[in-house]
Amino acid sequence: MKKYDCVVIGAGNGGLSAAVKILMGKKSCLVCEKHNIPGGFATSFVRGRFEFEASLHEFNGIGNEEMCGSTKRMFDELEVSDLIEWIQVKNAYRLISKEEGIDFVLPFGIDNIIKACDTLCENGGIEAKKIIDLSKTIYEAVGYLSDSKGNPDPEVMKTKYYDYLATSSYSVNEVFESLKTPKIIKNVLSAYWSYLGVDFDNMSFVHYANMTYSYYSMGATVPKYRSHELSLAFEKRIHDLGGDIFYNTEVKKILTDEVGHVSGVELSNGEVIETRHVIANCSPHVVYSNMLDPKVVPERALKLCNFRKFAGRGITIFLGLDSSPEELGITEHSYFIYNSSDSVKMYNEMKDLHHHVGQATCCLNNVNPDCSEKGTTILYMTSLYFDDAWKDVEEKDYYKFKNEVAEKFIEDFEVATGAKIKGHIEEIAIATPQTYARYTGHPQGVIYGYEGKYDDGLMARIMMVNEDAFIKGLRFGGAYGEREIGYPSSYKSGYNEAKRTLKDMEKEGS
Amino acid sequence: MFKRNENPMVDVQKGLNIVNKRREAIDNSPSTPLPKSYKVNELSKSLHPGMIKAELIDIKDSISDYKILTFKSLSKNKRFPYFKAGQFITISARVKGSIVTRPYSIYSSPKDALNGIIEIGVKRSGFFSNFLVDVIKIGTKVMIGEPSGDFYYDNLRDKKNIVGIAGGSGVTPFVSMIKSLIEGTDDFNLTLFYGVRKREFMMYDFSSINDPRIKIIIILSEEKVDGYEYGFITKDILNKYLKGDYSVFMCGPDPMYEFVSKEFAKLGVDYHKIRFEHNTIGDDPTLKHIEHKLTVHLRDEVHVIPSYENETILTAMEKGGLYTPSRCRSGFCGFCHSRLISGDYYTPSKYDHRRGADKKFGYIHPCATYPKSDMEIDVPPLDELKEL
Repeated sequence: MKKYDCVVIGAGNGGLSAAVKILMGKKSCLVCEKHNIPGGFATSFVRGRFEFEASLHEFNGIGNEEMCGSTKRMFDELEVSDLIEWIQVKNAYRLISKEEGIDFVLPFGIDNIIKACDTLCENGGIEAKKIIDLSKTIYEAVGYLSDSKGNPDPEVMKTKYYDYLATSSYSVNEVFESLKTPKIIKNVLSAYWSYLGVDFDNMSFVHYANMTYSYYSMGATVPKYRSHELSLAFEKRIHDLGGDIFYNTEVKKILTDEVGHVSGVELSNGEVIETRHVIANCSPHVVYSNMLDPKVVPERALKLCNFRKFAGRGITIFLGLDSSPEELGITEHSYFIYNSSDSVKMYNEMKDLHHHVGQATCCLNNVNPDCSEKGTTILYMTSLYFDDAWKDVEEKDYYKFKNEVAEKFIEDFEVATGAKIKGHIEEIAIATPQTYARYTGHPQGVIYGYEGKYDDGLMARIMMVNEDAFIKGLRFGGAYGEREIGYPSSYKSGYNEAKRTLKDMEKEGS
Repeated sequence: MFKRNENPMVDVQKGLNIVNKRREAIDNSPSTPLPKSYKVNELSKSLHPGMIKAELIDIKDSISDYKILTFKSLSKNKRFPYFKAGQFITISARVKGSIVTRPYSIYSSPKDALNGIIEIGVKRSGFFSNFLVDVIKIGTKVMIGEPSGDFYYDNLRDKKNIVGIAGGSGVTPFVSMIKSLIEGTDDFNLTLFYGVRKREFMMYDFSSINDPRIKIIIILSEEKVDGYEYGFITKDILNKYLKGDYSVFMCGPDPMYEFVSKEFAKLGVDYHKIRFEHNTIGDDPTLKHIEHKLTVHLRDEVHVIPSYENETILTAMEKGGLYTPSRCRSGFCGFCHSRLISGDYYTPSKYDHRRGADKKFGYIHPCATYPKSDMEIDVPPLDELKEL
């Protein structure tokens, strides 16, 4: 029987970073992926003369020439940085919100943001600065907590990072309220909520602050060759380090020994691989219900899963257009087009199958002009469903229905921006929850893991990561992991779980 | 200093309490069993079932070189998925020592699939199609790959008026579209120009169609007959029947694509506005039959087989009897995406549809790759072919 120190289930972002870290710790590692390429959602696909980005809108955490982001530091350590070419995004986003009549471009850079907010209302700059300064402290506190490996000095926390402690039980909206942030500033700085996937009554301020400070201060980047470049960079590292990757290979069962410790995995081709450690870069719901012997799944694992709520299910409309962005009137890279800036209202409306109340849309050419032939445009619009909205769509209606949904999002974009899209569509692909379910097996087509409501928010997850691990030798990376959703988070949680797994191996002397 | 409560210690205390709060919420949650599956995931599996084991249940002779083959699923829990009229499937079978997979346009309608039947049109034109036309018998078991391709009407992408250009057996996807229109699954206007040598070589009898949305123009190249156009599909013939806005779909041999797209250019129709069904890549007669060693990794199995400069490495792997993924066989779909470990190769630029990062990191599509030296590659195995 073949034997590895560690088997990683799923070559998504968290699985890839976990495998590299394990291999760099001089342990053997096998990655099993049911699809034929790495990346999970981090991939691309070709239609006609276009190569579409499958999921990445922009990468937060790489940094810029002056500042090195936390993800960049991790990529440096994993030695993948030199394999990736990044392109810097110019502006944060253009927010168009119908209800409030907002049409505003938010630049990157703290000073630029403060200046831009100053044009929105009296003292707008000062009010924005209050939020950003607070966010900075929290960003630094999270870095400190992460470096202290769960043993922070209470004195340091109480003095230097007092604001972290004081805000950590509050939602974003509670903090806005406490600071008496003017509505227009709150609206403009709230636009990012849909990337975090929870409305701001329920999103912990700490998570928001940590993500947005990095984003606002250092800007965002995109890889030159789509996120497929990131996935192949990791894959190359895995091969260079002597790791194995089996594609078209699904892990069917995780096996355990008589004391309930992981002892192996059973693959879709019937083969059994011996291992004492599994890092599952997939949904714990699927692992506990389908991969493990029910006898070894403790009651508390079921309670934990039932306590948690699936986060957003995705829909994306990929468009290859036959004219340039200038000709079509598409001026920005990143758009948030909302019916309302009220995240709570939007969140509730986005439970409906027929909703088209908000979209996050990117025009790749406006950051990466060589992404498609001259005189063409790549535009992709994403929205979310905060419920299992697509569950009753039937097979015979599926293709027709998804075009009906796509048409509404396209029309919303046209109305909001004045751009002309219809009549210019040369290629179109529509990814629905069914599509996301197809490629990753995530329940209900969830793309955002578990909802990061503040009961199950970032800090609580990090502090309970060992308590949430029930099966010895089994850990969870990726979007369902401790760091919540997004590219940097999923890489980071895979990396962290690999570190813990290496420590477990050290302890048992294997 | 951030403060929400009058007493700031309350803020801090609450912050320190988040773990207890979460722990308590977990304690209070039910321990009911988790769902085994989800409806969204089930539909996803129905639409993309992977390969389906199927049996040939009927052979219809259309003309001597062209047959209609009807299959039914042998898999208990998999039936043919609903598809978009115009798409293709793959058929895989063992022929002598080879495991061969080829794409074929679907001849039947999307509704037929829901009723458990799928039909393809095959014309005798090479190794595997000759097998399907001449050798295969009712009862033969094959593996069928899921419907794929972009050769279908899309109301957001395409004009309501579709101009179909079909040459020879290239009429097959249009037959599926016509059935779909008549059944009410699709709704668009189709003007089909069908180029064929003589009436006796027509692969479908269009005479019974009575639908105002469908217009068929038949162009015979080897006989002059009243009621039919004669010659090639030229600008003048197109002009005679076409007006207004339309989208063009073409399915036929490559020389037809070249000729008719030039005729469309004369009418001001840009090349990029024409949707071509991709033809498969075969042996390259301009290259020499020089043998090289091909080392193939399928998971941890290693196979060493011969390959030839004038044959794609996909062909070499099929001849070697390997469980190799293959779908469009035209360089497009990426289903055969494989990692190059070492060696030189040649991918003709017109077939090179790899992603940017694939080129950067050295990945290939074996269906569009000819070896120029000994090569070593890592291929994702397709275990489903073991059912053959």
